[in-house]
Amino acid sequence: MHLFVQACILGLLTGGVYALMASGLALGFGVMRVINVAQGALIILGAYLSYTLYSHLGIDPFVGLLLLTPAMFALGVLLQLVFLRPLRDEEREELSLLVTWAMALGIEGLLSVAYQTTYRSTITSYADRSWTVFGYYISVARVFAFVASFVVLGLLFAVLRYTKLGRAVRATVQNPTAARLLGVDTRMVSAVGFGLSVATASAAGAVYGIVFPFNPGSHYDLISRLLSIIVLGGLGSLGGAVVAALFMGLTEALFSAEISPTWSSFTFFIVLIAVLVVRPQGLFGARVRGAI
Amino acid sequence: MRAALVFGVLSALPFGFTAAWVQNLFIFTLMYAALASAWNIVGGYSGYISLGHAAFFGVGAYAIGILFTHTSIGGGYRPFYALPLVGIGVAIGSLPVAWIAYRTRAATFAIVTITLLFVVQQLAFNLRSLTGGSQGIAIPTPSFPVATYEEPFYYAMLGILAMSMLASWSIRGSKLGLALLSIRDDEDRARGLGVQTELAKLTAFAVSCGLVAMAGGVWAYYIAFIYPQFAVDPLITIGMVLMVYLGGKGTIWGPVLGAFILVPAQQYLAYRLGASRLYLVGYSAVFLGVMLLLPRGILPSLGDRARKLRVRRVPPEPRVEEVAAS
Amino acid sequence: MAKRTKGLLAAVVAAAVVSAAFAATASSRPAAGPIKIGISLSLSGDFSDPGKAVKRGYDLWAAYVNAHGGILGRQVQLKIVDDASSPDQVVSNYQNLITRDHVDLVFGPFSSLLTGPAATVANRYHYAFLEPAGGGPKVFALKLHNLFFVQPAPVIKCGDSFVAYLKTLPSSQRPKTAAYPSLDDPFSSPIADAMQSQLQKLGVKTVFRTIYPAETTDMTPVVAKAIAKKPDMIVAGTQSEDAYGQVKALVQAKYSPKFLFFANGANSPTEFPSKVGKNNVNGIFSCSDWTPAAPTSGNKLFVAQYLKKYGGSQFDIDNNSSEAWAVGQLLQLVVEKIGSIDNQKIIDTLHKGVWPTIEGNLSWDAYGSPNGDDLLVEWVGGKLLPVFPAKVALAKPFSPKPAWGG
Repeated sequence: MHLFVQACILGLLTGGVYALMASGLALGFGVMRVINVAQGALIILGAYLSYTLYSHLGIDPFVGLLLLTPAMFALGVLLQLVFLRPLRDEEREELSLLVTWAMALGIEGLLSVAYQTTYRSTITSYADRSWTVFGYYISVARVFAFVASFVVLGLLFAVLRYTKLGRAVRATVQNPTAARLLGVDTRMVSAVGFGLSVATASAAGAVYGIVFPFNPGSHYDLISRLLSIIVLGGLGSLGGAVVAALFMGLTEALFSAEISPTWSSFTFFIVLIAVLVVRPQGLFGARVRGAI
Repeated sequence: MRAALVFGVLSALPFGFTAAWVQNLFIFTLMYAALASAWNIVGGYSGYISLGHAAFFGVGAYAIGILFTHTSIGGGYRPFYALPLVGIGVAIGSLPVAWIAYRTRAATFAIVTITLLFVVQQLAFNLRSLTGGSQGIAIPTPSFPVATYEEPFYYAMLGILAMSMLASWSIRGSKLGLALLSIRDDEDRARGLGVQTELAKLTAFAVSCGLVAMAGGVWAYYIAFIYPQFAVDPLITIGMVLMVYLGGKGTIWGPVLGAFILVPAQQYLAYRLGASRLYLVGYSAVFLGVMLLLPRGILPSLGDRARKLRVRRVPPEPRVEEVAAS
Repeated sequence: MAKRTKGLLAAVVAAAVVSAAFAATASSRPAAGPIKIGISLSLSGDFSDPGKAVKRGYDLWAAYVNAHGGILGRQVQLKIVDDASSPDQVVSNYQNLITRDHVDLVFGPFSSLLTGPAATVANRYHYAFLEPAGGGPKVFALKLHNLFFVQPAPVIKCGDSFVAYLKTLPSSQRPKTAAYPSLDDPFSSPIADAMQSQLQKLGVKTVFRTIYPAETTDMTPVVAKAIAKKPDMIVAGTQSEDAYGQVKALVQAKYSPKFLFFANGANSPTEFPSKVGKNNVNGIFSCSDWTPAAPTSGNKLFVAQYLKKYGGSQFDIDNNSSEAWAVGQLLQLVVEKIGSIDNQKIIDTLHKGVWPTIEGNLSWDAYGSPNGDDLLVEWVGGKLLPVFPAKVALAKPFSPKPAWGG
């Protein structure tokens, strides 16, 4: 029983971090109908930048977040303008997968030139500390990571709900044509939306780097999980991504603890396949003609 | 026709260029040409971008490996004879997978195939008693004479390429091909018109996977070491897809052209540039360049250019009214 | 018209590519002149860090030899190519090196994963294959006569010295129970498995055993299960990252076993304390094929040369560099002994006798597996020192392991 509860705690904490990572991906798809396979690589980029800020300038990763987010936002807008906007509408969804995959490879290559392939971790002073609560140990770093993730997610939701820009983004997600008819500059919104999704990647990366060791090749593992999460949650649904992420985090930790660590990453895939057979649009997605 | 010419040249090649390293280069080139051609059947004709094809490559590779470790197949030429069985087996085995994947469309389909790739890789790592896990499977090397060691593998790959192109060509000209193309244009409308979309998609997928698996089998026998992260490698899929896009998606010779350009180029770069860590960056740059600048690929773009030239050379038709009036 | 043009164009491009590739050959073979040694190394991709350490070793050796008259009066010329950590590329590389560039000799690449395919190619052309870093069981299972693993012991025997040390303790001080969390990888889990069977014969009860997948970044769940039964000893078949992860997880769980052994990770002199905290290292055991202070043949020279060229302290020297140097050193010994660079003679001569290198005095069985033992190393007073067997120890081994932070 002890092991079960311990695993649940661990799973939820990890799930929170996944939620932040997946939300960026869901947002990117929502505004631009683009599956950003480079999201994993961008998260790792965020992790490396946060690591550099910490190891060379002594800036704590959570503080460094404030510096990184606007920078990565700008990067996101730039990437969208250069690589994604030129794609024609009808081919965008299909080609975006390949284009963003190429971007991911490019980022991985550049990172391995800059940082080599040794694993890094942003080891802060609180990295090894743990609290013992009712006999369960809870890692301090993970709690901070979880809280940070939800703060950023909360901010994202707030922006989407309460600002004019956010409403424009949501309108574009729901129905781009109608939004354009109502005067929304969908091109600008797409760029901003993508920028936001890359900005969340940087936050997620900073958080990820504290808890897990990473190297340029880590993005494959990340993106395969994130893709399963957003398909499970339903493409384009932010809330769905969060729920799916928490669910996956929990399932994986329980599986690892109770059954076997060897097969634990399998849980993502099994759950995904099971859901797809029954409900191809995911938990919260909408079944759209020809474009699930 | 030109197919006979090309295959004639390729068949005679080992006699002209006996150096082992040239034949080695060609073995990989032919392999990728076959892979790209097979991928084209699904990705090019039906428009479903499968990013998990490398999974079947790996399955084919392991199938050959397992034949060695679990049966007494022995060496020599016998594994080559087992290849068609492997191909058919994988083709049939891919059907349930395809059925699940085809419940989704477009982007989700691609994601599901990526997931499939990682699932197969995980299985390869975890099913230790079958696949040897991370220790891999070592296949005893055949005792072909050193001077002509590469030739059996070369001809095997050439044979698979021939099969791949034959499949591609015959599908294109058949009802199945029409069905696939109509799916690419507008699947729901095709279904509404009575096209057997499900059957068409499944058939194409099975054929494609069977071919890919056979290539994987020859590769396994040639390299003689099968490790999960190399046999089931996303970079193999990327390679296939890039070659198809470069050469021309949906054409018959396009994928082959793409392979003949990229494989030697990549080997040359990796060998000559020594400590080139810009390998991945270079790959990604080529990929992005092709996607953005030459989205239809070389052959279709050349075809367009040739057509435009032809149109300009023919003088404009005189207007009918003018002729009648004179 | 257009269709035929397209097909013809395809054929022409193919032919052009072929001729260009073929024309780019350099197939001159000088009668005397430099000795060309072909090497494929992982300078990019997953193995690039150790691959670069190997390159440093080879380069250092070649520079030293050339500055001191070369071998048999001939300069040594290394041709190093990148295999991007891929078996396909390593096969192509050795094919190119041997049949296109006609190198005189070859040295091995990094990692058993790549050594296997590479050695098979070299064997086909009857080249001797001296290799620094392919010591996993699969490599020797190939039964190749041309292969020589230039380290004191095959990887799987890494833990033998630790078991031997435990045997020297009175039975009241020995561990009674043990947990074996290991990494799924060709070198790591076989080490732990070999140790487990020896330890079980010694009467140590196994309370937990698991093999976790290679991409596991989060060691907390594995460690939680390992310590659930409170084992006296943890023997972990690890590489580096997971070793660091296990220590951190143990620290967080506030569990300090009496004996802690890592196959890898804990044997890296500077990385380990920086990753897990220098107050957490004392008392942890590992195994190693080489240490900078080891009294082996030519070691002082190697260390001095390395520091002269690359700077830093002797504890920064990566084992991969010393292994590479040893390969070169061994080659020079055998070539000077037989007075020629004939590959078959090299193979036959190396199979006889004992050869002194910085990695120790080496000899091999018929399939290239070395006949010696690795060193047991322990963290003593914040330093990584060889502690067993006594004749090469620089400090006395101690146990049990102190609590974390001490």
